[in-house]
Amino acid sequence: MNATLRAEFLKLRTTKTAAGLAGLAVAVTALIATLESATAGTGRGMAIPSLATPTGLRDAVASTGFALIAAAVLGTVITCGEFRHKTATGAYLDQPDRKRVLAAKAMAAAAIGALVGLAAAATATGIGLGFAAARGYPLALPAATIIRYGAGAALGAGLLCAAGVGAGSLIRHQIGAIIAVFAWGFAVELVVGGTATAVAPYLPYTAAALMAGVTSGGGIPPIARGVIALPFAAAAAVLAGVAVLLAAAAATTTVRRDIA
Amino acid sequence: MPVATPGAAPRARLNGDGAGAVIELRQLTKRFGAVTAVDRLSFQVRPGTVTGFLGPNGAGKTTTLRMLLGLVHPDSGQATIWGNRYADLGVWRRKVGVVLEASGLHPGRTVRDHLRVRCAATGIASARIDAVLEETGLDGLASRRAGALSLGERQRLGLAAALLGNPGLLILDEPGNGLDPAGVAWLRDLLRRLGRAGRTVLVSSHLLAEVAQTADQVIVINRGRLISSGPVSQLTAATGQAVIVRTPQAAELRAALVAGGAAVRELADGRLEISGAAVEQVATLAAARGLPIFEITKETGSLEDAFLTLTAGERRPG
Repeated sequence: MNATLRAEFLKLRTTKTAAGLAGLAVAVTALIATLESATAGTGRGMAIPSLATPTGLRDAVASTGFALIAAAVLGTVITCGEFRHKTATGAYLDQPDRKRVLAAKAMAAAAIGALVGLAAAATATGIGLGFAAARGYPLALPAATIIRYGAGAALGAGLLCAAGVGAGSLIRHQIGAIIAVFAWGFAVELVVGGTATAVAPYLPYTAAALMAGVTSGGGIPPIARGVIALPFAAAAAVLAGVAVLLAAAAATTTVRRDIA
Repeated sequence: MPVATPGAAPRARLNGDGAGAVIELRQLTKRFGAVTAVDRLSFQVRPGTVTGFLGPNGAGKTTTLRMLLGLVHPDSGQATIWGNRYADLGVWRRKVGVVLEASGLHPGRTVRDHLRVRCAATGIASARIDAVLEETGLDGLASRRAGALSLGERQRLGLAAALLGNPGLLILDEPGNGLDPAGVAWLRDLLRRLGRAGRTVLVSSHLLAEVAQTADQVIVINRGRLISSGPVSQLTAATGQAVIVRTPQAAELRAALVAGGAAVRELADGRLEISGAAVEQVATLAAARGLPIFEITKETGSLEDAFLTLTAGERRPG
Protein backbone atom coordinates (compact mmCIF):
# COMPACT_ATOMS: atom_id res chain seq x y z
CA MET A 1 0.00 0.00 0.00
CA ASN A 2 2.86 2.35 0.77
CA ALA A 3 4.21 2.18 -2.77
CA THR A 4 0.76 2.72 -4.29
CA LEU A 5 0.12 5.66 -1.96
CA ARG A 6 3.52 7.17 -2.77
CA ALA A 7 2.73 6.87 -6.46
CA GLU A 8 -0.63 8.60 -5.99
CA PHE A 9 0.98 11.52 -4.18
CA LEU A 10 3.64 11.73 -6.88
CA LYS A 11 0.94 11.75 -9.58
CA LEU A 12 -0.69 14.72 -7.87
CA ARG A 13 2.60 16.57 -7.63
CA THR A 14 3.70 15.97 -11.21
CA THR A 15 0.75 17.47 -13.07
CA LYS A 16 -0.83 20.89 -12.83
CA THR A 17 -4.33 19.58 -12.11
CA ALA A 18 -4.20 19.54 -8.33
CA ALA A 19 -2.22 22.77 -8.06
CA GLY A 20 -4.51 24.45 -10.59
CA LEU A 21 -7.71 23.47 -8.80
CA ALA A 22 -6.22 24.38 -5.43
CA GLY A 23 -5.19 27.74 -6.84
CA LEU A 24 -8.65 28.28 -8.28
CA ALA A 25 -10.26 27.36 -4.95
CA VAL A 26 -8.07 29.80 -3.04
CA ALA A 27 -8.50 32.57 -5.62
CA VAL A 28 -12.30 32.28 -5.66
CA THR A 29 -12.35 32.09 -1.86
CA ALA A 30 -10.22 35.22 -1.70
CA LEU A 31 -12.57 36.99 -4.11
CA ILE A 32 -15.68 36.02 -2.15
CA ALA A 33 -14.09 36.88 1.22
CA THR A 34 -12.95 40.23 -0.11
CA LEU A 35 -16.35 41.09 -1.57
CA GLU A 36 -18.11 40.03 1.63
CA SER A 37 -15.68 41.86 3.89
CA ALA A 38 -15.69 45.00 1.79
CA THR A 39 -19.47 45.20 1.72
CA ALA A 40 -20.16 43.87 5.23
CA GLY A 41 -22.51 46.08 7.14
CA THR A 42 -23.25 48.30 4.15
CA GLY A 43 -26.33 46.47 2.92
CA ARG A 44 -24.72 46.15 -0.49
CA GLY A 45 -23.44 43.06 -2.21
CA MET A 46 -24.38 39.92 -0.31
CA ALA A 47 -25.79 42.12 2.46
CA ILE A 48 -23.91 40.44 5.28
CA PRO A 49 -23.86 42.08 8.70
CA SER A 50 -20.96 44.18 9.93
CA LEU A 51 -17.66 42.49 10.67
CA ALA A 52 -18.03 43.83 14.17
CA THR A 53 -20.76 41.22 14.73
CA PRO A 54 -20.19 37.49 15.17
CA THR A 55 -22.48 36.70 12.23
CA GLY A 56 -20.78 39.13 9.89
CA LEU A 57 -17.29 37.99 10.78
CA ARG A 58 -18.37 34.36 10.49
CA ASP A 59 -19.74 34.96 7.01
CA ALA A 60 -16.40 36.44 5.96
CA VAL A 61 -13.93 34.01 7.55
CA ALA A 62 -16.02 30.98 6.66
CA SER A 63 -16.53 31.82 2.99
CA THR A 64 -14.96 28.48 2.02
CA GLY A 65 -17.97 26.89 0.34
CA PHE A 66 -16.50 27.06 -3.15
CA ALA A 67 -13.26 25.48 -1.92
CA LEU A 68 -15.27 22.56 -0.54
CA ILE A 69 -16.91 22.04 -3.93
CA ALA A 70 -13.52 22.44 -5.66
CA ALA A 71 -12.09 19.73 -3.42
CA ALA A 72 -14.89 17.37 -4.42
CA VAL A 73 -14.22 18.20 -8.08
CA LEU A 74 -10.52 17.49 -7.56
CA GLY A 75 -11.40 14.08 -6.16
CA THR A 76 -13.45 13.18 -9.22
CA VAL A 77 -10.72 14.45 -11.57
CA ILE A 78 -8.13 12.28 -9.81
CA THR A 79 -9.98 9.15 -10.87
CA CYS A 80 -11.70 10.27 -14.07
CA GLY A 81 -8.36 11.55 -15.37
CA GLU A 82 -6.94 8.04 -15.15
CA PHE A 83 -9.62 6.82 -17.53
CA ARG A 84 -9.54 9.92 -19.73
CA HIS A 85 -5.80 9.62 -20.34
CA LYS A 86 -5.85 5.80 -20.20
CA THR A 87 -3.30 5.85 -17.42
CA ALA A 88 -5.51 3.48 -15.41
CA THR A 89 -3.96 0.65 -17.44
CA GLY A 90 -0.50 1.43 -16.08
CA ALA A 91 -1.83 1.89 -12.56
CA TYR A 92 -3.51 -1.53 -12.61
CA LEU A 93 -0.41 -3.18 -14.06
CA ASP A 94 1.66 -1.66 -11.25
CA GLN A 95 -0.86 -2.84 -8.67
CA PRO A 96 -3.50 -5.30 -9.93
CA ASP A 97 -5.49 -5.06 -6.69
CA ARG A 98 -7.83 -2.33 -7.90
CA LYS A 99 -9.44 -1.82 -4.50
CA ARG A 100 -6.01 -1.05 -3.11
CA VAL A 101 -5.44 1.49 -5.88
CA LEU A 102 -8.83 3.06 -5.12
CA ALA A 103 -8.05 3.22 -1.40
CA ALA A 104 -4.67 4.84 -2.08
CA LYS A 105 -6.33 7.40 -4.33
CA ALA A 106 -8.91 8.20 -1.64
CA MET A 107 -6.20 8.65 0.97
CA ALA A 108 -4.09 10.86 -1.26
CA ALA A 109 -7.20 12.83 -2.19
CA ALA A 110 -8.14 13.29 1.47
CA ALA A 111 -4.71 14.74 2.17
CA ILE A 112 -4.63 17.09 -0.80
CA GLY A 113 -8.26 18.08 -0.22
CA ALA A 114 -7.48 18.94 3.38
CA LEU A 115 -4.65 21.18 2.19
CA VAL A 116 -7.03 22.92 -0.22
CA GLY A 117 -9.56 23.46 2.60
CA LEU A 118 -6.87 24.70 4.95
CA ALA A 119 -5.45 27.11 2.37
CA ALA A 120 -8.92 28.46 1.59
CA ALA A 121 -9.75 28.84 5.27
CA ALA A 122 -6.47 30.63 5.97
CA THR A 123 -7.11 32.96 3.04
CA ALA A 124 -10.69 33.78 4.05
CA THR A 125 -9.72 34.20 7.70
CA GLY A 126 -6.82 36.47 6.83
CA ILE A 127 -9.00 38.66 4.64
CA GLY A 128 -11.93 38.79 7.07
CA LEU A 129 -9.74 39.57 10.08
CA GLY A 130 -7.73 42.03 8.03
CA PHE A 131 -10.79 44.03 7.05
CA ALA A 132 -12.10 43.89 10.63
CA ALA A 133 -8.80 45.09 12.03
CA ALA A 134 -8.54 47.83 9.41
CA ARG A 135 -11.91 49.12 10.53
CA GLY A 136 -10.84 48.97 14.16
CA TYR A 137 -13.37 46.31 15.18
CA PRO A 138 -12.63 44.03 18.11
CA LEU A 139 -12.52 40.31 17.38
CA ALA A 140 -16.19 39.37 17.26
CA LEU A 141 -15.63 35.62 17.39
CA PRO A 142 -13.62 33.56 19.88
CA ALA A 143 -10.29 32.40 18.42
CA ALA A 144 -11.28 28.80 19.15
CA THR A 145 -14.34 29.19 16.93
CA ILE A 146 -12.30 30.57 14.06
CA ILE A 147 -9.83 27.70 14.45
CA ARG A 148 -12.72 25.23 14.48
CA TYR A 149 -14.04 26.68 11.22
CA GLY A 150 -10.58 26.29 9.71
CA ALA A 151 -10.30 22.73 10.94
CA GLY A 152 -13.79 22.06 9.61
CA ALA A 153 -12.87 23.43 6.21
CA ALA A 154 -9.75 21.27 6.09
CA LEU A 155 -11.48 18.11 7.28
CA GLY A 156 -14.59 18.74 5.20
CA ALA A 157 -12.59 19.42 2.03
CA GLY A 158 -10.43 16.37 2.64
CA LEU A 159 -13.40 14.07 3.08
CA LEU A 160 -15.29 15.59 0.13
CA CYS A 161 -12.19 15.09 -2.02
CA ALA A 162 -12.04 11.46 -0.94
CA ALA A 163 -15.75 11.10 -1.68
CA GLY A 164 -15.06 12.62 -5.11
CA VAL A 165 -12.65 9.77 -5.82
CA GLY A 166 -15.48 7.27 -5.36
CA ALA A 167 -17.89 9.39 -7.39
CA GLY A 168 -15.33 9.74 -10.19
CA SER A 169 -14.80 5.99 -10.27
CA LEU A 170 -18.53 5.50 -10.63
CA ILE A 171 -19.04 8.14 -13.31
CA ARG A 172 -15.65 7.82 -15.09
CA HIS A 173 -16.47 10.59 -17.59
CA GLN A 174 -14.56 13.65 -16.44
CA ILE A 175 -16.80 16.43 -17.70
CA GLY A 176 -19.89 14.53 -16.58
CA ALA A 177 -18.43 14.05 -13.12
CA ILE A 178 -17.53 17.74 -12.74
CA ILE A 179 -21.02 18.80 -13.83
CA ALA A 180 -22.53 16.27 -11.42
CA VAL A 181 -20.55 17.69 -8.49
CA PHE A 182 -21.52 21.29 -9.25
CA ALA A 183 -25.15 20.31 -9.84
CA TRP A 184 -25.15 18.46 -6.54
CA GLY A 185 -23.64 21.35 -4.59
CA PHE A 186 -25.53 24.21 -6.22
CA ALA A 187 -28.90 22.58 -6.87
CA VAL A 188 -29.66 19.18 -5.35
CA GLU A 189 -28.59 19.99 -1.79
CA LEU A 190 -30.30 23.38 -1.86
CA VAL A 191 -33.57 21.87 -3.06
CA VAL A 192 -33.45 18.88 -0.72
CA GLY A 193 -32.23 21.03 2.16
CA GLY A 194 -34.94 23.60 1.53
CA THR A 195 -37.71 21.02 1.56
CA ALA A 196 -36.41 18.72 4.28
CA THR A 197 -34.25 20.64 6.76
CA ALA A 198 -33.98 17.62 9.04
CA VAL A 199 -32.26 15.66 6.25
CA ALA A 200 -29.99 18.50 5.11
CA PRO A 201 -27.25 18.11 7.79
CA TYR A 202 -26.69 14.59 6.53
CA LEU A 203 -26.05 15.72 2.94
CA PRO A 204 -22.33 15.74 2.20
CA TYR A 205 -21.80 19.35 1.09
CA THR A 206 -24.07 20.75 3.77
CA ALA A 207 -22.39 18.63 6.45
CA ALA A 208 -18.94 19.83 5.34
CA ALA A 209 -20.09 23.44 4.96
CA LEU A 210 -21.56 23.51 8.47
CA MET A 211 -18.31 22.07 9.85
CA ALA A 212 -16.49 24.91 8.13
CA GLY A 213 -18.91 27.53 9.47
CA VAL A 214 -20.46 28.32 6.08
CA THR A 215 -23.82 30.05 6.49
CA SER A 216 -26.91 30.38 4.39
CA GLY A 217 -25.90 33.97 3.68
CA GLY A 218 -22.19 33.78 3.08
CA GLY A 219 -21.56 30.52 1.29
CA ILE A 220 -21.11 29.95 -2.41
CA PRO A 221 -22.82 27.62 -2.86
CA PRO A 222 -25.02 28.57 0.14
CA ILE A 223 -26.72 26.09 2.40
CA ALA A 224 -30.45 25.94 2.93
CA ARG A 225 -31.87 28.23 5.60
CA GLY A 226 -32.88 26.82 8.97
CA VAL A 227 -30.58 23.83 8.87
CA ILE A 228 -29.17 22.87 12.25
CA ALA A 229 -25.58 21.68 12.19
CA LEU A 230 -24.62 18.24 13.45
CA PRO A 231 -21.94 18.04 16.10
CA PHE A 232 -18.50 18.35 14.51
CA ALA A 233 -17.57 14.68 14.98
CA ALA A 234 -20.96 13.48 13.74
CA ALA A 235 -20.68 15.61 10.61
CA ALA A 236 -17.18 14.23 9.98
CA ALA A 237 -18.54 10.71 10.44
CA VAL A 238 -21.33 11.44 7.93
CA LEU A 239 -18.80 12.65 5.37
CA ALA A 240 -16.47 9.71 5.97
CA GLY A 241 -19.46 7.40 5.58
CA VAL A 242 -20.36 8.98 2.25
CA ALA A 243 -16.76 8.59 1.05
CA VAL A 244 -16.68 4.95 2.13
CA LEU A 245 -20.09 4.23 0.57
CA LEU A 246 -19.13 5.75 -2.78
CA ALA A 247 -15.80 3.92 -2.77
CA ALA A 248 -17.51 0.65 -1.88
CA ALA A 249 -20.06 1.13 -4.66
CA ALA A 250 -17.25 1.83 -7.13
CA ALA A 251 -15.22 -1.13 -5.89
CA THR A 252 -18.08 -3.53 -6.46
CA THR A 253 -19.15 -2.12 -9.83
CA THR A 254 -17.12 0.10 -12.13
CA VAL A 255 -13.68 -0.63 -10.70
CA ARG A 256 -14.12 -4.29 -11.67
CA ARG A 257 -14.90 -3.45 -15.28
CA ASP A 258 -12.63 -4.45 -18.14
CA ILE A 259 -9.92 -1.94 -18.97
CA ALA A 260 -10.11 -1.98 -22.74
CA MET B 1 24.41 -0.27 -24.66
CA PRO B 2 23.89 -3.85 -23.52
CA VAL B 3 20.65 -4.90 -21.93
CA ALA B 4 21.15 -5.58 -18.26
CA THR B 5 20.18 -9.06 -17.17
CA PRO B 6 19.33 -9.13 -13.46
CA GLY B 7 15.66 -9.74 -14.11
CA ALA B 8 16.21 -12.45 -16.68
CA ALA B 9 15.94 -16.04 -15.62
CA PRO B 10 19.18 -18.02 -15.79
CA ARG B 11 19.93 -19.39 -19.26
CA ALA B 12 20.12 -22.97 -18.01
CA ARG B 13 16.59 -22.79 -16.73
CA LEU B 14 15.34 -20.82 -19.68
CA ASN B 15 16.47 -23.31 -22.25
CA GLY B 16 16.70 -26.43 -20.18
CA ASP B 17 14.46 -29.32 -21.05
CA GLY B 18 11.41 -29.65 -18.90
CA ALA B 19 11.30 -25.96 -18.11
CA GLY B 20 7.68 -24.83 -17.87
CA ALA B 21 6.05 -22.36 -20.20
CA VAL B 22 6.42 -18.74 -19.20
CA ILE B 23 3.03 -17.91 -20.67
CA GLU B 24 0.25 -20.42 -21.01
CA LEU B 25 -3.25 -19.86 -22.34
CA ARG B 26 -5.81 -22.59 -21.98
CA GLN B 27 -9.12 -22.35 -23.81
CA LEU B 28 -9.22 -18.62 -23.24
CA THR B 29 -12.49 -17.08 -24.40
CA LYS B 30 -13.88 -13.56 -24.37
CA ARG B 31 -17.13 -12.30 -25.84
CA PHE B 32 -18.23 -8.72 -26.26
CA GLY B 33 -21.96 -9.00 -26.78
CA ALA B 34 -22.52 -11.10 -29.86
CA VAL B 35 -18.89 -10.89 -30.94
CA THR B 36 -16.49 -13.57 -29.81
CA ALA B 37 -13.21 -11.68 -29.66
CA VAL B 38 -11.15 -14.61 -28.41
CA ASP B 39 -12.35 -18.12 -29.00
CA ARG B 40 -10.93 -21.01 -26.95
CA LEU B 41 -7.41 -19.83 -27.55
CA SER B 42 -4.59 -22.00 -26.26
CA PHE B 43 -0.86 -21.58 -26.70
CA GLN B 44 2.39 -21.53 -24.78
CA VAL B 45 5.37 -19.23 -24.85
CA ARG B 46 8.58 -21.02 -23.97
CA PRO B 47 11.26 -19.48 -21.77
CA GLY B 48 14.00 -17.45 -23.41
CA THR B 49 12.24 -17.07 -26.74
CA VAL B 50 11.16 -14.04 -28.72
CA THR B 51 7.67 -14.93 -29.88
CA GLY B 52 5.77 -12.97 -32.49
CA PHE B 53 2.03 -12.73 -31.90
CA LEU B 54 0.43 -12.12 -35.27
CA GLY B 55 -3.03 -11.60 -36.62
CA PRO B 56 -4.95 -9.17 -38.79
CA ASN B 57 -6.71 -6.17 -37.29
CA GLY B 58 -9.51 -7.33 -35.02
CA ALA B 59 -8.03 -10.80 -34.64
CA GLY B 60 -8.13 -10.53 -30.84
CA LYS B 61 -4.44 -9.95 -30.10
CA THR B 62 -4.89 -6.97 -27.80
CA THR B 63 -7.83 -8.53 -25.98
CA THR B 64 -5.75 -11.66 -25.45
CA LEU B 65 -2.84 -9.71 -24.02
CA ARG B 66 -5.16 -7.71 -21.78
CA MET B 67 -6.70 -10.91 -20.44
CA LEU B 68 -3.22 -12.27 -19.81
CA LEU B 69 -2.48 -9.14 -17.76
CA GLY B 70 -5.73 -9.17 -15.80
CA LEU B 71 -7.10 -6.01 -17.37
CA VAL B 72 -9.92 -7.80 -19.17
CA HIS B 73 -11.79 -10.63 -17.52
CA PRO B 74 -12.15 -13.79 -19.65
CA ASP B 75 -15.53 -15.47 -19.95
CA SER B 76 -13.80 -18.83 -19.63
CA GLY B 77 -10.38 -20.39 -19.79
CA GLN B 78 -7.14 -19.42 -18.12
CA ALA B 79 -4.14 -17.29 -18.87
CA THR B 80 -1.10 -17.69 -16.66
CA ILE B 81 2.42 -16.31 -16.38
CA TRP B 82 4.88 -18.68 -14.75
CA GLY B 83 1.86 -20.70 -13.67
CA ASN B 84 0.09 -17.84 -11.92
CA ARG B 85 -2.49 -15.27 -12.78
CA TYR B 86 -0.84 -11.90 -13.36
CA ALA B 87 -2.50 -10.55 -10.21
CA ASP B 88 -0.87 -13.27 -8.14
CA LEU B 89 2.68 -12.76 -9.43
CA GLY B 90 3.71 -10.03 -6.96
CA VAL B 91 6.35 -7.36 -7.71
CA TRP B 92 4.72 -7.25 -11.11
CA ARG B 93 6.85 -4.76 -12.98
CA ARG B 94 10.06 -6.47 -11.86
CA LYS B 95 8.81 -9.67 -13.46
CA VAL B 96 6.81 -8.46 -16.43
CA GLY B 97 7.48 -5.42 -18.58
CA VAL B 98 4.49 -4.30 -20.57
CA VAL B 99 3.84 -1.97 -23.49
CA LEU B 100 0.16 -1.87 -24.34
CA GLU B 101 -0.69 1.49 -25.82
CA ALA B 102 1.19 4.65 -26.57
CA SER B 103 -1.72 6.73 -25.31
CA GLY B 104 -1.49 5.66 -21.67
CA LEU B 105 0.37 8.80 -20.61
CA HIS B 106 -0.80 11.95 -18.86
CA PRO B 107 -0.07 14.71 -21.38
CA GLY B 108 1.00 17.14 -18.65
CA ARG B 109 3.52 14.84 -17.00
CA THR B 110 7.13 14.89 -18.14
CA VAL B 111 8.96 11.85 -19.43
CA ARG B 112 11.07 11.60 -16.27
CA ASP B 113 8.06 12.09 -13.98
CA HIS B 114 6.16 9.37 -15.82
CA LEU B 115 9.00 6.98 -15.05
CA ARG B 116 9.24 8.28 -11.47
CA VAL B 117 5.57 7.39 -10.93
CA ARG B 118 6.22 3.87 -12.25
CA CYS B 119 9.21 3.55 -9.91
CA ALA B 120 7.25 4.83 -6.93
CA ALA B 121 4.35 2.47 -7.61
CA THR B 122 6.53 -0.58 -7.97
CA GLY B 123 9.36 0.06 -5.55
CA ILE B 124 11.91 0.12 -8.37
CA ALA B 125 14.90 2.36 -7.62
CA SER B 126 14.59 5.64 -9.48
CA ALA B 127 18.31 5.30 -10.28
CA ARG B 128 17.15 3.04 -13.13
CA ILE B 129 15.47 5.96 -14.88
CA ASP B 130 18.58 7.39 -16.49
CA ALA B 131 19.63 3.94 -17.69
CA VAL B 132 16.33 3.23 -19.47
CA LEU B 133 16.17 6.75 -20.90
CA GLU B 134 19.56 6.16 -22.47
CA GLU B 135 18.60 2.65 -23.57
CA THR B 136 15.55 3.99 -25.40
CA GLY B 137 17.17 7.13 -26.78
CA LEU B 138 15.01 9.47 -24.69
CA ASP B 139 17.79 10.91 -22.54
CA GLY B 140 17.46 14.26 -24.29
CA LEU B 141 13.70 14.40 -23.75
CA ALA B 142 13.50 13.72 -20.02
CA SER B 143 12.00 17.12 -19.26
CA ARG B 144 9.53 17.12 -22.14
CA ARG B 145 5.84 16.69 -21.36
CA ALA B 146 4.24 13.54 -22.75
CA GLY B 147 1.71 15.64 -24.64
CA ALA B 148 4.53 17.08 -26.73
CA LEU B 149 5.99 13.71 -27.72
CA SER B 150 5.58 12.15 -31.14
CA LEU B 151 3.91 8.75 -31.39
CA GLY B 152 7.31 7.13 -31.86
CA GLU B 153 8.68 8.89 -28.79
CA ARG B 154 5.66 7.77 -26.80
CA GLN B 155 6.33 4.20 -27.89
CA ARG B 156 9.92 4.56 -26.73
CA LEU B 157 8.69 5.90 -23.40
CA GLY B 158 6.41 2.89 -23.06
CA LEU B 159 9.39 0.63 -23.70
CA ALA B 160 11.48 2.59 -21.21
CA ALA B 161 8.82 2.02 -18.55
CA ALA B 162 8.68 -1.67 -19.47
CA LEU B 163 12.44 -2.02 -19.03
CA LEU B 164 12.57 -0.19 -15.68
CA GLY B 165 12.36 -3.32 -13.55
CA ASN B 166 14.74 -5.44 -15.67
CA PRO B 167 11.93 -7.96 -16.11
CA GLY B 168 12.45 -11.50 -17.33
CA LEU B 169 9.32 -11.28 -19.48
CA LEU B 170 8.27 -8.52 -21.83
CA ILE B 171 4.80 -8.31 -23.33
CA LEU B 172 4.70 -5.75 -26.12
CA ASP B 173 1.59 -4.85 -28.09
CA GLU B 174 2.54 -3.32 -31.45
CA PRO B 175 5.65 -1.59 -30.11
CA GLY B 176 6.69 -0.61 -33.64
CA ASN B 177 3.63 1.59 -34.21
CA GLY B 178 4.68 5.12 -35.00
CA LEU B 179 8.40 4.40 -35.13
CA ASP B 180 10.34 5.81 -38.05
CA PRO B 181 12.69 3.50 -39.99
CA ALA B 182 15.54 4.26 -37.61
CA GLY B 183 13.21 3.51 -34.70
CA VAL B 184 12.14 0.23 -36.26
CA ALA B 185 15.79 -0.76 -36.69
CA TRP B 186 16.43 0.23 -33.08
CA LEU B 187 13.45 -1.85 -31.91
CA ARG B 188 14.68 -4.83 -33.93
CA ASP B 189 18.09 -4.53 -32.31
CA LEU B 190 16.53 -4.16 -28.87
CA LEU B 191 14.41 -7.28 -29.29
CA ARG B 192 17.44 -9.24 -30.46
CA ARG B 193 19.48 -8.08 -27.48
CA LEU B 194 16.64 -8.95 -25.13
CA GLY B 195 16.47 -12.40 -26.67
CA ARG B 196 20.22 -12.88 -26.38
CA ALA B 197 20.05 -11.77 -22.74
CA GLY B 198 17.68 -14.65 -22.02
CA ARG B 199 14.51 -12.59 -21.75
CA THR B 200 11.24 -14.03 -22.87
CA VAL B 201 9.46 -11.64 -25.21
CA LEU B 202 5.92 -11.84 -26.57
CA VAL B 203 5.48 -9.16 -29.19
CA SER B 204 2.34 -8.56 -31.20
CA SER B 205 2.91 -6.83 -34.49
CA HIS B 206 1.64 -6.33 -37.96
CA LEU B 207 5.19 -5.57 -39.17
CA LEU B 208 5.71 -9.11 -40.38
CA ALA B 209 9.16 -8.53 -41.85
CA GLU B 210 10.33 -7.23 -38.49
CA VAL B 211 8.89 -10.21 -36.66
CA ALA B 212 10.53 -12.56 -39.17
CA GLN B 213 13.91 -10.99 -38.40
CA THR B 214 13.63 -11.05 -34.64
CA ALA B 215 11.25 -13.80 -33.52
CA ASP B 216 12.17 -17.38 -32.80
CA GLN B 217 8.55 -18.48 -32.70
CA VAL B 218 5.33 -17.11 -34.08
CA ILE B 219 1.74 -17.50 -33.01
CA VAL B 220 -0.86 -16.60 -35.61
CA ILE B 221 -4.46 -15.98 -34.63
CA ASN B 222 -7.47 -14.86 -36.59
CA ARG B 223 -10.99 -14.14 -35.38
CA GLY B 224 -9.80 -15.06 -31.91
CA ARG B 225 -8.74 -18.55 -32.88
CA LEU B 226 -5.29 -20.07 -33.15
CA ILE B 227 -4.30 -20.54 -36.77
CA SER B 228 -0.71 -21.63 -36.40
CA SER B 229 2.19 -21.66 -33.97
CA GLY B 230 5.77 -22.75 -34.19
CA PRO B 231 9.21 -21.65 -35.38
CA VAL B 232 9.26 -18.97 -38.06
CA SER B 233 11.16 -21.31 -40.40
CA GLN B 234 8.52 -24.00 -40.01
CA LEU B 235 5.74 -21.57 -40.75
CA THR B 236 7.36 -20.14 -43.87
CA ALA B 237 8.32 -23.60 -45.13
CA ALA B 238 4.75 -24.74 -44.71
CA THR B 239 3.62 -22.22 -47.27
CA GLY B 240 5.71 -24.02 -49.88
CA GLN B 241 9.08 -23.46 -51.41
CA ALA B 242 10.23 -23.32 -54.99
CA VAL B 243 13.43 -23.96 -56.91
CA ILE B 244 14.48 -21.32 -59.42
CA VAL B 245 16.65 -22.46 -62.31
CA ARG B 246 18.33 -20.62 -65.18
CA THR B 247 19.34 -22.84 -68.05
CA PRO B 248 19.81 -22.33 -71.82
CA GLN B 249 17.81 -25.53 -72.39
CA ALA B 250 14.69 -24.67 -70.45
CA ALA B 251 12.31 -26.65 -72.65
CA GLU B 252 14.21 -29.91 -72.21
CA LEU B 253 14.57 -29.46 -68.44
CA ARG B 254 10.92 -28.50 -68.12
CA ALA B 255 9.79 -31.63 -69.97
CA ALA B 256 11.97 -33.83 -67.81
CA LEU B 257 10.72 -32.24 -64.58
CA VAL B 258 7.06 -32.46 -65.56
CA ALA B 259 7.55 -36.08 -66.50
CA GLY B 260 8.94 -36.60 -63.01
CA GLY B 261 5.84 -35.10 -61.41
CA ALA B 262 7.06 -31.57 -60.60
CA ALA B 263 5.13 -28.42 -61.42
CA VAL B 264 7.03 -25.95 -63.58
CA ARG B 265 6.27 -22.35 -64.39
CA GLU B 266 8.33 -20.16 -66.70
CA LEU B 267 9.07 -16.74 -65.23
CA ALA B 268 9.12 -13.55 -67.27
CA ASP B 269 12.92 -13.52 -67.43
CA GLY B 270 13.01 -17.06 -68.82
CA ARG B 271 13.94 -18.78 -65.56
CA LEU B 272 11.95 -21.78 -64.39
CA GLU B 273 10.11 -21.87 -61.07
CA ILE B 274 9.77 -25.47 -59.95
CA SER B 275 7.65 -26.72 -57.10
CA GLY B 276 7.29 -30.29 -55.97
CA ALA B 277 10.99 -31.07 -56.32
CA ALA B 278 13.98 -30.33 -54.09
CA VAL B 279 17.10 -28.51 -55.28
CA GLU B 280 19.06 -31.76 -55.16
CA GLN B 281 16.48 -33.57 -57.30
CA VAL B 282 16.47 -30.82 -59.93
CA ALA B 283 20.27 -30.62 -60.10
CA THR B 284 20.66 -34.40 -60.30
CA LEU B 285 18.07 -34.66 -63.06
CA ALA B 286 19.73 -31.90 -65.08
CA ALA B 287 23.17 -33.51 -64.70
CA ALA B 288 21.79 -36.89 -65.76
CA ARG B 289 20.34 -35.33 -68.93
CA GLY B 290 23.48 -33.30 -69.63
CA LEU B 291 21.58 -30.02 -69.32
CA PRO B 292 23.76 -27.04 -68.28
CA ILE B 293 22.58 -24.99 -65.28
CA PHE B 294 23.79 -21.41 -64.86
CA GLU B 295 21.87 -20.69 -61.69
CA ILE B 296 19.87 -22.72 -59.16
CA THR B 297 18.37 -21.35 -55.94
CA LYS B 298 15.86 -22.41 -53.33
CA GLU B 299 13.19 -19.82 -52.66
CA THR B 300 11.30 -20.00 -49.37
CA GLY B 301 8.06 -18.16 -48.76
CA SER B 302 8.20 -15.08 -46.56
CA LEU B 303 6.41 -14.76 -43.25
CA GLU B 304 4.08 -12.37 -45.01
CA ASP B 305 3.25 -15.03 -47.59
CA ALA B 306 2.64 -17.51 -44.81
CA PHE B 307 0.51 -15.05 -42.88
CA LEU B 308 -1.60 -14.17 -45.89
CA THR B 309 -2.01 -17.84 -46.78
CA LEU B 310 -3.02 -18.77 -43.26
CA THR B 311 -5.52 -15.98 -42.86
CA ALA B 312 -6.79 -15.95 -46.43
CA GLY B 313 -10.54 -15.65 -46.65
CA GLU B 314 -10.87 -15.04 -42.92
CA ARG B 315 -9.64 -11.48 -42.63
CA ARG B 316 -12.09 -8.91 -41.45
CA PRO B 317 -12.21 -5.70 -43.39
CA GLY B 318 -10.43 -2.69 -41.89
